[in-house]
Amino acid sequence: MKLLLIILPLAVCFTGCAVAPWERGNLAKPQMALDPHPLQTELSGHSHGSREAAGAGGSASGGGCGCY
Amino acid sequence: MAAIKSKNKRLGRANTPNPLQSLTAAALLLPGVMLGVAQAADEDEFTFQYGRYEESHRNLGDVKSQFDPISVDSLQAGSKISLTDRVKFAFNFIQDTWGGATPISTAPSVRQGNQEYKQNNVVAGASPYIQDHTGLVYFDNQLNPLKAVMDDDTGEMLSQGIDKQLAHTMVLASPETRKEGNFKLGYEWDEAAIDVGGGISIERDYESRFGNLGGRLDFNQKQTSLNLGLSYTNSDTSARQDHDAQPYIDYVAYNLKNTSDNYGKLLVGNREDWATNVGLTQILSKDSLIKFGVGYTRSTGYMANPYKAVTVFFVEPIGGQVGEYSSTIPYVGQSKVFLEKRPDLRNQWNFSTGYVQYINPIDAALHFDYRFFHDDWGINAHTFEADWVQPLGAGWTVTPRVRYYSQDAADFYKPYLAVMHATDSNLTNKNDLNYLPANYSSDQRLSGYGALSGGLVLTKQFAKGLTLEAGFEYYNHKGSFKLGSGGESDYADFSYYTANAALKVNLESVGRAMSGGEHDHHAMHHNHGAPLPAGVMFGHVMTTPGDIMVGYRYMYSRQDGRMLHENELAADQDIVSNGCNLEPGLTCRTSPAFMNMHMHMLDIMYAPTSWLNLMVMPQFMDMDMKVRSLGGVTPDVNRDHLHGGHETGGVGDTGLYAMFKLYQGAGHDINMGVGVTAPTGAVDIKLKRMHTKDEGYIHYGMQLGSGTWDFKPSITYTGKVDDWSWGAQLNGTKRLENRNQAGFAFGDQLQSTAWGSYSLFNWLSASVRGIYTVQGAVKHQFNAVIGDTSEGDPIMGDVNPKEGSMDNPKNYGGRYWDVGFGLNAMIPSGSLAGNTFSVEWLQPVEDDVNGYQLERNGTLNATWSYGF
Repeated sequence: MKLLLIILPLAVCFTGCAVAPWERGNLAKPQMALDPHPLQTELSGHSHGSREAAGAGGSASGGGCGCY
Repeated sequence: MAAIKSKNKRLGRANTPNPLQSLTAAALLLPGVMLGVAQAADEDEFTFQYGRYEESHRNLGDVKSQFDPISVDSLQAGSKISLTDRVKFAFNFIQDTWGGATPISTAPSVRQGNQEYKQNNVVAGASPYIQDHTGLVYFDNQLNPLKAVMDDDTGEMLSQGIDKQLAHTMVLASPETRKEGNFKLGYEWDEAAIDVGGGISIERDYESRFGNLGGRLDFNQKQTSLNLGLSYTNSDTSARQDHDAQPYIDYVAYNLKNTSDNYGKLLVGNREDWATNVGLTQILSKDSLIKFGVGYTRSTGYMANPYKAVTVFFVEPIGGQVGEYSSTIPYVGQSKVFLEKRPDLRNQWNFSTGYVQYINPIDAALHFDYRFFHDDWGINAHTFEADWVQPLGAGWTVTPRVRYYSQDAADFYKPYLAVMHATDSNLTNKNDLNYLPANYSSDQRLSGYGALSGGLVLTKQFAKGLTLEAGFEYYNHKGSFKLGSGGESDYADFSYYTANAALKVNLESVGRAMSGGEHDHHAMHHNHGAPLPAGVMFGHVMTTPGDIMVGYRYMYSRQDGRMLHENELAADQDIVSNGCNLEPGLTCRTSPAFMNMHMHMLDIMYAPTSWLNLMVMPQFMDMDMKVRSLGGVTPDVNRDHLHGGHETGGVGDTGLYAMFKLYQGAGHDINMGVGVTAPTGAVDIKLKRMHTKDEGYIHYGMQLGSGTWDFKPSITYTGKVDDWSWGAQLNGTKRLENRNQAGFAFGDQLQSTAWGSYSLFNWLSASVRGIYTVQGAVKHQFNAVIGDTSEGDPIMGDVNPKEGSMDNPKNYGGRYWDVGFGLNAMIPSGSLAGNTFSVEWLQPVEDDVNGYQLERNGTLNATWSYGF
């Protein structure tokens, strides 16, 4: 059921719910960026990554070994 | 394209766009020029960030650890630039320095893994004990640890009941620095992009190299974006085992290698990580979007932590060979500590989703993210994160963030092990391994727990594309926070906070603030003065009120090779006899083999009027040094710090300056600078206690600042005719205090320099410079640190190191001649207009040192600056 709730609007949007380019003013605002604070995210991600088993997740970069 | 994107973003940010702006915005959002949904509005920018991580003290039960917990200083500088409209290049430099107390192993509290030691009958600290030297641990029939006391009458050990309380054994990690450089090169089409990236991360015991490929495809009129990523990482571990702990840890599961200097052993390993991910971002409405991602990572090789060990109790039933037993104690266990072992394969999956909703009435955005992680080590983890991004007007934005994380324990995680077998005290007994599981770790990162964290990010955007950001996060790790039951008990709980400050310069703002011709003029205007060699500071004053300049300055210097006494080579025997004459009768045992110093400095300059500039210059230092035994001295590893060298790093002193234009004529300028440096750099870094011997302050030259408020005046003359320019400067450093909190003060300094420069092209010039520097010796000395000076019974005294030539305050300062060769590039036009890059190599010509010092090899200065 939950899955359906997610998939349904997505499927609808894929085919029909067009948001015209001139209606995307709000989407273009900086607060709507997928990551509004990339510097902060990188620093806290580094702290979380060195303290948690689930790691950085997916896109690996070098990082250290966190050997402490 | 880039300019359009910037404009698009800027208009989006405006609270009340005027009708013309609205029309323009609509026109710019036509298909083909509009931003894709997952396309970062990556404008050309320079970023700089400093972060501080500080952990709480661990709960060790009755014992209190005097060690400071782990803290980390992080520095990050990076830039994104458009090489052409479609080709983007980004690079980053990241540096972390950490040090402090960290768990090495875990055992029942009755095991007493941290033992207090006393000085003058006062508890002075807690020493780590991981080997079973104080007695045995007793267990009941279910192998629960028992608290036991000896019956005074019979001498028999009697149980006082189960005591399940556990405790970490804490050890102190000396400061260590990691450095990383990475880059990304991308190409953009109207509805797609690809990028390729890579980098390297280096620390003393770990080196990691990585490369990645990424791609983005927009379709469905840019309402849908598909992202693909692939990355590969190859990492080498080369960890020197602490020679203090080495006699107590069982390494039989590993083949340790000898070190080149024969002090201690190396654990060597390699790992590879392949990671791939697919992401989909979809616009749902004009106010919301959603994203999904799936990632898979395959890791192979050595993935354990080379400094974590597992306590194993070899348990014998009553009547066995081991230890004492009694009528109330069924089992006795003898402990041994084994370096942890993890599987050499790990498959990891990530599933993530995120939702972003625009909140129209208050112009805010709500971000919600969820991630599920699963691996074949038995760990499932959930991460929930919510951010509320709230613009406040006048360029301010505040973002409260909250995050919850929960993970299961790895299959092979155990706080400690108890096995039903006997062992002997032999640390090379390979039979022990037969009784252990294939893998074992008591690293709390693999335990079951939850973590709740929250924080705030505050952003202020100034005119002209300058943005300042500050953030704070408090993170609380608790076994009881785990989703469901089965979290680790509270001995492993801890918390930390991170605080950061960042600066962003939008390199396109200047360009869009004026038309092309003016832009070029503007860039030239800022660089109209004579080019300055990279090593010269305070040479230029901006004369247009309101102007800002942001710069980055890097300096590297190295001392290596021969020891000097004044201006002649010093024989080792001479250093032994005379180099450590701080106290009568003292002789030297060691001198530096080499020393490296790196300095990163941010340079922010503002012109409130045409004749005055204000400057702020925070500094970040890191140093490393290795010492050697002097000829004729029998090396003693416990006394001489010969093992692997020392590193320090972190925030240095902060400069605050005012610059005045004294004279400006046709081709001639005279500037004066006055300022101070605030003592923000640490001067109280100590060596760690080893072999039950206390240690005092690390060498003067390895401290991060001066510890005193310093007055720094300068006067500079520059001249220019056609392609030729020249200049001269006199600058000084006067310590405003007689001694710092650690007891000493560096000597005052006076430097004079003169240079000539010739423009090879309109954008490139070359310079030659002469420098003469006089610096005084260190005044006074470190405050005495009273501690235990011997490895046997406590003998109290000053434990500051005094047997190395670098520990003698008389062996600092001197008179130096250098010659500098430099290049200076000013970009006059194009997308990088307004940027200045310069490098300079300073070659020592003559050293006349105070006392006995290592010869200097040279100094590299590199600077970047951007005026707008």
